[in-house]
Amino acid sequence: MIQLKDVSYVRLGSPDLEQAEQFATACLGLQTAERSKTDLYLRSDERTHTLCYSEGDPTRQTVGFEVEDEASLQDAAATLESLGHAVHAGTARESEQRKVKAFIGFHDPTGNHIELVVRPERSGRRYFASRDAGITGFSHVGLNSTDPARDERFWTEVCNARVSDRIGDIPLMRVNAIHHTIALVRAPQAGIQHINHQVESSDDVLRSYYFLNEQRVPIVFGPGRHPTSGARFLYFKGPDGMIFEYSVGVDEIEDETTHRPRQFGFEPTSFCMWGSKPAGMKLPNK
Amino acid sequence: MNGTKPLITSVCYVRHTINEPQACARFVADIFGLQQVASRDGELAFRSDDRFRTVSLSSDRGDGTSIGIEVWDDAALQEIGERLRAHGFAVRPASPEECQRRYVQSALLADDASGNRIDLVTRPTRSGRRYFPPRDAGIVQFQGIGLRSIDHARDLAFWCLLGTEVTDWVGDIAYLRLDHLHHRIALYPSQRPGLLYAAFEVEALDQIMQNSYFMQENQVKIVQGPGRQPASQQIFLHVEGPDGLILSYVTGTAEIGDRPRPPRQFLPIATSLCNWGSESKGVPELSAQSLPNRREA
Repeated sequence: MIQLKDVSYVRLGSPDLEQAEQFATACLGLQTAERSKTDLYLRSDERTHTLCYSEGDPTRQTVGFEVEDEASLQDAAATLESLGHAVHAGTARESEQRKVKAFIGFHDPTGNHIELVVRPERSGRRYFASRDAGITGFSHVGLNSTDPARDERFWTEVCNARVSDRIGDIPLMRVNAIHHTIALVRAPQAGIQHINHQVESSDDVLRSYYFLNEQRVPIVFGPGRHPTSGARFLYFKGPDGMIFEYSVGVDEIEDETTHRPRQFGFEPTSFCMWGSKPAGMKLPNK
Repeated sequence: MNGTKPLITSVCYVRHTINEPQACARFVADIFGLQQVASRDGELAFRSDDRFRTVSLSSDRGDGTSIGIEVWDDAALQEIGERLRAHGFAVRPASPEECQRRYVQSALLADDASGNRIDLVTRPTRSGRRYFPPRDAGIVQFQGIGLRSIDHARDLAFWCLLGTEVTDWVGDIAYLRLDHLHHRIALYPSQRPGLLYAAFEVEALDQIMQNSYFMQENQVKIVQGPGRQPASQQIFLHVEGPDGLILSYVTGTAEIGDRPRPPRQFLPIATSLCNWGSESKGVPELSAQSLPNRREA
């Protein structure tokens, strides 16, 4: 079994790096770590980067997950190949690009591009945001799924993810104590459904709501509170239609052995207990 | 302060005069979430906690408007009466009928310098039955009031004679405390006197936000919020019903510790009134634009 430790980074293609950097720094509140002609590295916590924009097709999206060590990586490659997933072993140059020691790439059953990485770089300098959004770190991703039940089996049976809760057939899955690191969302094609950053307090969620409204950033859901994880949240749209989320107060699963996933109905109150309705997001909207 | 005992202990009711009692009653009960109780003398009365009533609506311009302030006991009442008279404020004892109408044991009826009617009352009636609201707005208790003031120096003197203390200033808006909370009364400089808002404490941020979406869905005008006051940390939502009646949900008001501190001065700008970024729509007292000496941050 592959043991995921944590989500490590997201890589996104973008035709306009300047616009992406403008949004990431002035609106989202990340810190530019490094910028070349073709790559833009952004920080959100103690890691050297957690988001990387590369010049190119915006449908080229990758999520990186950290595994324990190189032996685990070799085991993972063998496991995936035995299950019929084509595995790409990262070259030295590609590893350098990702600021990791080593990595492999493959596609999940829906076709999402996933990388498993070893020893992602951390920085000795603390994260210093360009705007005071209160970000404390990159925390989870929503992944599109053409068949959530099948993909849930892949993530739980092959990658040791555990289901914390379900809304309809959407599983919210954890790979460590945090309520969820991967959320699967039904969609017609592969892709990243949203990218989450944690913020310090609910004050930050509300402050950003008014701030982003003023900046004319489309708010697509919230401010709200998830009854599943308990997190207060705000979803908004960035460059190339990518949805970003701020949230705070995500529950941790205290007892790994006795936690039983709860089932929530597929309806708006299961996504927000305050009463906000998703707009421009593919969730139930009645 | 009167020895170790405070002179006054709470803001215990608001009595409001309105033109459309039925429409207001629907707003207060069905929308805002207070429990309507039996009324008499043509007043509509509401509960928000274990008190017998905390809000009443009346169309009687003569005796339908006042703010109730609970006084410790009759000795304190007498002390306050003497202090106010000595400083030239109009004060008179309430008649038995006036006391009955207010559901209190005894009262002095006073006017502040703006002409706001302040009832200083003892033993306001409590109810043996628990508060049971018509909808789950999460209301815990009547929390406090915002008052309009046309003569803020004299009005402040009035409140200080009652034993309240200024905890903070935003421009000339004064937050007044009378117990452990940062403030129960806020005095807003205004062109006219009157009640600005009556505030009700809810359980937590969840209820502020749920009520905010509930108001949007029911097309109720949100005057300001959800927002947070920097001085008191209070999270608030001000909503407006018929006749310009503003009611507020609040939570998270800071407590003031035992160590005295001088009042802090905040600039009369929008971020001093709400540090999340909400701005008031249409109520000049709640908006930074109307504050005197407005400066850009």
